[in-house]
Amino acid sequence: NPTRPVDKEKAEAELNNAIKKATNPDETAPKQKHVRKAIVYTWDYRSSASIWAALRVQPILSDEVQTFKGLITVHKILQEGHPITLKEAQHQTSWLETCARTVGGDATRGYGSLIRAYVKLILAKLKFHRHHTAFNGLFEYEEYVALRGIDDPNEGFETIMDLMNLQDDIDAFQKLIFAHFRGSANNECRISALVPQVKESYGIYRFIISMLRAMYRRTESMDALEPLKDRYDHQHFSLRKFYYECSNLKYLTGLINVPKLPQDPPSLIDSGDTPDLP
Amino acid sequence: MSGIQGMGKTVMRVAKNSVKGYSDTQVKIRDATSNDPWGPSGTQMAEIAQMTYNQTDFVEIIEMLDKRLNDKGKNWRHVFKSLTVLDYILHAGSDNVVQYFRENIYIVKTLKEFQYVDETGKDQGANVRQKAKDITSLLLDEKRMRSQRASRKDMRDRMAGQKSER
Repeated sequence: NPTRPVDKEKAEAELNNAIKKATNPDETAPKQKHVRKAIVYTWDYRSSASIWAALRVQPILSDEVQTFKGLITVHKILQEGHPITLKEAQHQTSWLETCARTVGGDATRGYGSLIRAYVKLILAKLKFHRHHTAFNGLFEYEEYVALRGIDDPNEGFETIMDLMNLQDDIDAFQKLIFAHFRGSANNECRISALVPQVKESYGIYRFIISMLRAMYRRTESMDALEPLKDRYDHQHFSLRKFYYECSNLKYLTGLINVPKLPQDPPSLIDSGDTPDLP
Repeated sequence: MSGIQGMGKTVMRVAKNSVKGYSDTQVKIRDATSNDPWGPSGTQMAEIAQMTYNQTDFVEIIEMLDKRLNDKGKNWRHVFKSLTVLDYILHAGSDNVVQYFRENIYIVKTLKEFQYVDETGKDQGANVRQKAKDITSLLLDEKRMRSQRASRKDMRDRMAGQKSER
């Protein structure tokens, strides 16, 4: 039972309303106050079932902007909702696939390929969390006392590879979003999809650094880690470029602090501090 | 803001307090986290912190803070000042405050993307976002929380000691 002073019946009604408003047809960002309501709901009631039900009741699939906003909303709830949300979402993959199937071609306002790519990314994320249940939706390093998998180098290696695969998926998706900006129009709706990408990629980045450092401390053969090190370097430069491009989007920098990465990838040999949260 | 307008709001708040039957404790929180462009004062916050040591007051304080923290954008001052009060009572209030907000950290954490742009185009959400971020990282850092609470208590004890020596 929630320790907060809450009223279940009122909460359900408010949740439905919040989902409806977050996914309305206006070509804007899903309003954070509505998304927040859904996130808080999952913590209060340790459940996300009503959210998926509410999404199905809405005519989201008939409009590309609504579908896209629905996906942004889902992504943010997966990131910041109660851990049960990630578990329950594993049963929602067919609904997500329907989202990708329903929109034809590039649709009229150019969201078609963005929707399909977003669905692919969310499915990849869900798959990651299915195999690595210790991570939370935003890969927040602070919230873990100990890193699992480091005592077993094989498991550690696998986990880092999987994290890096997800990082590549995010990178491909952000590039697609930038490629779909429209010169004249206001790109708020598209830019708002970058917010969860910035947060998630930075969480992954920090985790990879601290896990790799721990691996380097333990391992006897540095050579075995060489492939990971190469990939790490490469991802550092891609991420640096991504954040640099984000820092030029005034709408986005008004919402979150975009991290500024150093010129060179942080050393994996010394046991420096994990980079600060943005 | 003109004096008359400010006064009108104060009158409204007093009326609302009595109509809704708020307790003295709740009224204290409402005053400390009102839409007035000043405050909360140090005296107000010290008083609230002291009250968190009483279980009945604690529950009422939490209830009212919870309401204020979840207020809408237009009332960003409610949210901002509630965070200010929260920051203070996390340092100087009872352990229950720390425990409660650790358990319900998502209430504060999800304010890191709080948005409100006022009629003049000024981004008033920025204040809320920064404070939410600071408090979240404090809540996650048990060691820092403990040392900050200890040094605060130490300072209070010394000041109390000085007073009684005089």
